[in-house]
Amino acid sequence: MLELIDSWFHRPNLIAFVILFLWGFYIMVTHHNLVKKLIGMYIVQTSIIFFFVAFSAKTGATVPILLSGTDPVQPETYANPLPHVLTLTAIVVQVATLGVSLALVASIYRKFGSLDEDEILKRSNE
Amino acid sequence: MSDHLPVLLFLLPFLTAISLPMVGLKHREWCRPMALVAVSAMSVVSVANLIVVLNHGEIRYAFSGWAPPLGIEWVADGLASVMMVALSLLAVVNLFYAGLISPKLLGGRVVPYYTLILLLISALTGIIFAGDLFNVFVFLEVAALAGYALVGIGGGRALISAFRYLILGTLGASLYLLGVGYFYAATGTLNMADLAQRVPELLTSKAIVVGLLFMFIGLGIKMALMPLHGWLPGAYKDAPEAISPLLASLVTKVALFAWIRIMFWVLGAPAVVEHIPVLALLGVLGAIASVIGAFLALTQRDVKRMFAYGGLSHIGLIVIGVSLGNPTGFAGGVFYLINDAVMQTALFFFAGAAIYQFGARTIDDLGCLRGQAPWMTGGLIIMSMSMVGFPPTGGFFGKWYIILGALEAQNYFAVGAVIVSTILTLAYFIKLFECLFHKTPVPSGIYLGKGSLSLKVSVGTVSAALIILGLWSDPIVGFLLASALPTRL
Repeated sequence: MLELIDSWFHRPNLIAFVILFLWGFYIMVTHHNLVKKLIGMYIVQTSIIFFFVAFSAKTGATVPILLSGTDPVQPETYANPLPHVLTLTAIVVQVATLGVSLALVASIYRKFGSLDEDEILKRSNE
Repeated sequence: MSDHLPVLLFLLPFLTAISLPMVGLKHREWCRPMALVAVSAMSVVSVANLIVVLNHGEIRYAFSGWAPPLGIEWVADGLASVMMVALSLLAVVNLFYAGLISPKLLGGRVVPYYTLILLLISALTGIIFAGDLFNVFVFLEVAALAGYALVGIGGGRALISAFRYLILGTLGASLYLLGVGYFYAATGTLNMADLAQRVPELLTSKAIVVGLLFMFIGLGIKMALMPLHGWLPGAYKDAPEAISPLLASLVTKVALFAWIRIMFWVLGAPAVVEHIPVLALLGVLGAIASVIGAFLALTQRDVKRMFAYGGLSHIGLIVIGVSLGNPTGFAGGVFYLINDAVMQTALFFFAGAAIYQFGARTIDDLGCLRGQAPWMTGGLIIMSMSMVGFPPTGGFFGKWYIILGALEAQNYFAVGAVIVSTILTLAYFIKLFECLFHKTPVPSGIYLGKGSLSLKVSVGTVSAALIILGLWSDPIVGFLLASALPTRL
């Protein structure tokens, strides 16, 4: 058990990921304000991007740019570029989602005149 | 040339979707014909693709010529090609119907409406063909974004449902992406064929197990498997009448298809994690969904919500079918998946037409259809026969093969779940017909005559399709058994 906890503290970036993820999830579930829910959602998505970047990192590795065209490539000296590329795509998806969700929230506000979930549900049932 | 058919299938709706906003600036009335032409061409190409796959084996398409483990790959095997034919034919019927009912409620938003529908269809095509876990994620999100916008396009209460759908759908997609991250971290690849070689020996790895769990929960939200279905009934009920059939028939089924791909083509059917066979666990979840979904449908009074819960129980039945772990059950499950896509289209066509023509939203209002709409009532009788599972409709043969598979696997629990769910389905349709034939409705004040010919044609076509599926069940299931089974089943 102690070894397990010890091994966690050797990976502080993964602990940061877990905290960010749960924090965002908590905001999403508990808050009644729609914009705050969106902020929670955004934190969850960002935490996953952070996770991708975290596991691609290596000690002593540098950015994956070939410095010389003639020397043989040594993979261990470079950080893995693929998770970063996936991250770029995921960020694009995330931005699109945020755009659609903000548009929805804006039209909900225009229609019901409130951002509080209970208040909106009450007004929509009238 | 024939190798490019899968990509052509994606490009047809996608390029049309992109060009619609430009064309729509000047000629708004061109949108519907253009969309219809695009999906009709798509269904012709999908049949051609199926024939090519049948004769020459599966098509593996590497984008830009980058070889698969590194590049992005699309796989058109037997299963994907059959799904594609079902998807494109249903897309044609749905688009036809969407044009009939929409204009009144949409006003000036006709152009984005058709653009979004086409984007949704092209994204679903992408999910079906994708041979790469991350590619599935991207297309899932494109489909979902189009779905959120389509649910909310009518305004009013639907906005709230769309927002809920968005929050849960995005959470599902994020969890799926997290699972993909775990898989990548453990294996160093995202290509499904490549993963299939590496994953089985890594099943003791915690990263793979946790990643699998995250992917399952993520796709479970997308396919609305029972405990994760919260967004579905509200979204289907409040979505515009023309959009509910599209979402109900295609979106959840394609997410389920993506899970079948991962389950059988990446993980392999006999996978055992910590002494628990994964398939058996999935079967239990399916059984719970099929019984509780049907039970909840019985308690509803709103017609669309009732059908939505009915759809949830059928998702459970499909999961039972594919999780039996033998070819009969798998083919039965996939056949039931196609059949259920048609049934959901048909039911929501009926519900939409009832609201549009008679203003009948709850089953108490359904009485106003009596004697007024023989086409719709007749269609509903065929749909209910298929939902409950009477011959000669597709629903009967689907359940028949699922039960045969369950008996073959000696899984009497699954047989019981299918039978209980069938009885509950019969119960809620009896309740529906009781109201339709015996209850005097409160007049809603909406009555638009006997209905246009096109509306009758669309309800009639999908009802006829249910019987055709039943009559042709033997060749279809035979084909699935011959060329759509995963290799390690």
